[in-house]
Amino acid sequence: MGVNVVENTIYIRMRHRLQVRPHDSIKLQDVAQIIAEDSLLEKVKDCIVYTVSEKDQNIIILDVMKVIPILTNMVEQINIEIIGQSQTIVEVVYKKIGVSIPLFILIWLLLFFGAALAIMNFHEDVSMQAVHQRIYKIITGKENLKPLILQIPYSIGLGLGMILFFNHVFKKRLNEEPSPLEVEMFNYQQDLDRYVIINENEESMKRIHHDH
Amino acid sequence: MIINIVFIIFIGLAGGIAVGSGFVAFLTVLGVIPRLTQLSKTMKMIHWYEGSVVFGAVAGTIASLRDPALFLPSIILIPLGLAGGVFVGLLAAALTEVLNVFPILAKRVRIEDKIMILMMAFVFGKIFGSLFHWMYFVNE
Repeated sequence: MGVNVVENTIYIRMRHRLQVRPHDSIKLQDVAQIIAEDSLLEKVKDCIVYTVSEKDQNIIILDVMKVIPILTNMVEQINIEIIGQSQTIVEVVYKKIGVSIPLFILIWLLLFFGAALAIMNFHEDVSMQAVHQRIYKIITGKENLKPLILQIPYSIGLGLGMILFFNHVFKKRLNEEPSPLEVEMFNYQQDLDRYVIINENEESMKRIHHDH
Repeated sequence: MIINIVFIIFIGLAGGIAVGSGFVAFLTVLGVIPRLTQLSKTMKMIHWYEGSVVFGAVAGTIASLRDPALFLPSIILIPLGLAGGVFVGLLAAALTEVLNVFPILAKRVRIEDKIMILMMAFVFGKIFGSLFHWMYFVNE
């Protein structure tokens, strides 16, 4: 019996994310990394775990609890070891919606003028003009109502500082660490993933029914 | 009389501590200094950067409370303005990052790959707004 158990052991690690097309059939080797003895691996790796249908929306959560019964039905006395997380987020990719150029330009202009207005409000709010006049007086000893020699470099520096923070210019040259923006995108995606894993997975919540 | 002076000194000190710690807390939350050390790989020098911020804040306080005049050539204002601008730019960028503006926007309009172009809209908008403000808007 001991020999049998060792031969029939299968290690499964669910992938984090999988993209499929509508009406695709998802095979076991698509949703999971598998380690097993060769004959067993051949037998199970192409078995269909789930078929995407019309009624699925664009996200399906495949829980390992749905995979286990399929395996136990197929192979007798199988010993399944699950490693890592227990569900895969399946993303159904419908026909790719292209970005509409006018919309993009609209958003670009929105951000452009929004940023311009915001910085003007900020300057008024903190009395930047008065501070610049004061700095001009401190450095040169003269009055100047419009110290543009200070303010034009300031404006250019403003843009440089933002680019510096987001690591756009120095991305390739300085280091391979991700920029804060990339980390932020990643964190946001992780939060969304955690949300769908809990909320799109009907097995993860059990409610008491009062309808009898 | 003496108690008045002691009390005023105490209030001044307390106000300074509140404002100073608030300033440092603000900088810490936005993570501007770690970002700069990460870019320049000078983590070991971070104590010098702390010192620089403290020294700069104290110098700014003295300059705004007293009324010094240094009688230097005005050309010095160019690097000064540039440095001030970069600092405010870093703060502004850090603030939008804390508020998660770009990830949400990119997700909503499905343009994860064009996010840098959107960011440039932000950057150019800031430069344009700032120049417009100084050169045209403030005409008294």
